[in-house]
Amino acid sequence: MAKVGIFYHESFSRRSYLTVGRRLADFPAALDELLQDERFQLHTSPVVSDDLILKVHTQGLIEEVDQDAL
Amino acid sequence: MAAAEKIASGEIERAFAFIGAGGHHAGRNFFGGYCCFNDVAIAIAHLRDTSGVRRFAILDTDAHHGDGTRDILQNDPDVLHVCICGTNYVSPDGTKVDVPAPRVGRDTDEAYLKIAEAAFSGRVRAFRPDLAIWYFGFDGHQGDYGDMGLSLRCFVGLADLMVRMAKEASGGKLLTVLGGGSRTDLATMLIPEVIRHLGKE
Repeated sequence: MAKVGIFYHESFSRRSYLTVGRRLADFPAALDELLQDERFQLHTSPVVSDDLILKVHTQGLIEEVDQDAL
Repeated sequence: MAAAEKIASGEIERAFAFIGAGGHHAGRNFFGGYCCFNDVAIAIAHLRDTSGVRRFAILDTDAHHGDGTRDILQNDPDVLHVCICGTNYVSPDGTKVDVPAPRVGRDTDEAYLKIAEAAFSGRVRAFRPDLAIWYFGFDGHQGDYGDMGLSLRCFVGLADLMVRMAKEASGGKLLTVLGGGSRTDLATMLIPEVIRHLGKE
């Protein structure tokens, strides 16, 4: 039986940079039925460090994102 | 990152990662299109530093081209990146591929699934990645901002395709990362069903 981890953080439902409004407003409640099945496990997504981001992006990009109005 | 780590460690076989901001339009030194940091590329770099996972195959079915992912990974021969979008391209080494999405028609779901299967299946079997990654945007659903005429049937079909391909090519290991899509009602309807299909045997 394949285990499926579901990775979520409550901040994803509070605010969405992606969209006008809160597209994930109904989560995690919308997963309640799914989580009755032991194949599915809900995990909290941890904060990603700047060191990890810098493995791919430049320091300048991090600063620009920090200053972005959205 | 946590999802990728747990798959790499063998704790879980498959994962679905929600996001707060998009990833695939974020390049090494640019961002936009509602994306800040390239979650998939960061996960790849992190896994290479911390595990034996080296080769990755990405299917990007967000409505728009994954230009940031392509920017970061374009010279990486150990990443297969297949993007279903608006362009038609195959890199000289065959690891970076853009395939045009179907026009909206009578059965766009079926047409899209056929294109996805044709573009990804043979390539991922030959590539033999350590981990398959599905960049899943639902912005192409009917009525969302990237409307491609798609419905739930297409997205669960893509989930089934990715599970099958992961079993055949990457030892079952599959990471699904949420991409674009704006409507709350669509997110609530689609995401649990997609995850349910990711759990199928």
